[in-house]
Amino acid sequence: MTNRNLYLLAGITVGVLAVLFPHISPRFQLRMVTEIVILSLLVMTWKMMLNEGGLFSFGHAVYFGLGAYASVIAWLNIKGLSFIGGILLGGIVAGFISFFLGAFLVRMSGTYYALLTLAFNQLIWAIVWKWRSVTGGDDGLGRFPKPDLLGISMRDPVNFYYLSLVIVALCMSLCHYFSKTPLGNVVKGIKSNEERSKFIGFNVNASKLIFLTLLGFFAGVSGALYAQFQEFISASSIDLVMSTHVIFMAFIGGVGHFWGPLLGSGIYVYLSEYLSHYTDRWELIFGIVVVILVLLAPQGILGITKKRK
Amino acid sequence: METIVIQFLHGLAYGMLLFLVASGLTLVFGMMSVLNIAHVSFYMLGAYLSYTMLKVVDNFWIGLIICPVLVAITGIAMERFILRRVHTAGHVQEFVITFGILFALNEVIKWVWGSENLSVPIPSALSGSLLIMGHIYPAYRLFILFFSLFILALLAFILMKTRLGITVRAMVSDRDMASALGTNTPFVFMLVMGIGSWLAGLAGVIAAPFLGISSGMGLDFLTDCFIVTVTGGLGSLWGAVVASFLIGQLSSFGILFMPRFAIVFGFLLMAVVLVIKPSGLFGEKA
Repeated sequence: MTNRNLYLLAGITVGVLAVLFPHISPRFQLRMVTEIVILSLLVMTWKMMLNEGGLFSFGHAVYFGLGAYASVIAWLNIKGLSFIGGILLGGIVAGFISFFLGAFLVRMSGTYYALLTLAFNQLIWAIVWKWRSVTGGDDGLGRFPKPDLLGISMRDPVNFYYLSLVIVALCMSLCHYFSKTPLGNVVKGIKSNEERSKFIGFNVNASKLIFLTLLGFFAGVSGALYAQFQEFISASSIDLVMSTHVIFMAFIGGVGHFWGPLLGSGIYVYLSEYLSHYTDRWELIFGIVVVILVLLAPQGILGITKKRK
Repeated sequence: METIVIQFLHGLAYGMLLFLVASGLTLVFGMMSVLNIAHVSFYMLGAYLSYTMLKVVDNFWIGLIICPVLVAITGIAMERFILRRVHTAGHVQEFVITFGILFALNEVIKWVWGSENLSVPIPSALSGSLLIMGHIYPAYRLFILFFSLFILALLAFILMKTRLGITVRAMVSDRDMASALGTNTPFVFMLVMGIGSWLAGLAGVIAAPFLGISSGMGLDFLTDCFIVTVTGGLGSLWGAVVASFLIGQLSSFGILFMPRFAIVFGFLLMAVVLVIKPSGLFGEKA
């Protein structure tokens, strides 16, 4: 079987399983799978930033958290804002922030890029945390409306799951499509040799900026979905711990692989859920798992299969 | 006026403490191009070990000698058994692995010592206070100041004047060439990692009576420590000196004038410096 067919088969299997899931599994499983689906979009944007752009983001929670906050604040304050409208708004605000921060970030690379994103993350987290009148600070924001979509109630977890699935699948396909466009190729070219891309005549900074804005938008969409999923949002969605968890998820799954984010967020969600059932020390086990994983499989779990082909 | 002097001295003491941790971090980065996030766990480990040491032998000075050495051994083990194995995989992997170690070490510390706050008494020889401009000032902070200055001088001497220092500087500027000229690079890596974690452990022991011991002490320090290393320029010792002075003063006066936004100032400084000069104040390459 050729590689392409294998991918297709894997895709179809995952798709069919995802669609059938609510009917073959208990309720609490559905909740976790919804979380996995939403998080995998976030991890996907992080992975693309590293993989296609060569940029190691240490502050990915900024886009996620701001998308979540923007959509929640919009739902609270704009009467009659639709479900999709709020989600789009979250994405647009995150994309805008990504554009604004990107103006500073595009000049950086390597460790300095990572550290500047870290600085921005802390800065924005501090603002969100301290600006109680808008964001609720430590208490967070809850009790925001969950509008129906085309007459379908989003309060039903099954419906919400399907909607998340559709949105995430759409966003992921768009991300994937972007990497095939000429602009996507330019970004990859910049990663492999920035000087040469400049010399050929591409506008390096503008290309990177568009790339970052797009990824910020999708991360924001994922944040807005997550806010509706949790029905609550607090400053912990924008802090450094969230950013590090994104990195862990991406690495567990495998950075160089399309299905990596899904697998990584899946393992992460299940591991944290079940480990925290059995022990208070789940972060210890988690840390050890990450260390062992990177030692044995530096390219992530799916990286192992790639090497053997 | 008095408050300003006192606040300045306080900032100086805190800045010197930051310098001790940040210098280890920047040394390791300059050598191996790895940002060792787990470095702050070493700082925590030093503080907690000194607490136990004080319980066992009841002498601060013995702890000051032994605890950093124990921390250094941990650091060396981490380099030898973990970091060295992923060295070929790339910097990103090394970075992620230090993250995993940070998580695990912090949890181990919580496991062993519990998560409640502990306090370490100031050693009796330094528990007094001095009169500075008519104001009472605790002697221990002055001790931190002078001890850190001593360590700074020691580090500068080692780096600039000894054969080991020359080797280290040669490896920072061109690792492959140094290796080709017959330097045992893996051994020097291990040594630098040991010195770096020794410095972090030392800072932990000194900080324990000053700032107290809590399970969040590492995270509080992590951010400031990173700001220092990055603002000063990764890999630059003098950058670390200047930046820790700046951050020490900034946090000290920030708390005095705008307590609510004190945490933001450091990051603002870091962001501004990075935007204007991406390699940091004293960094050489971006």
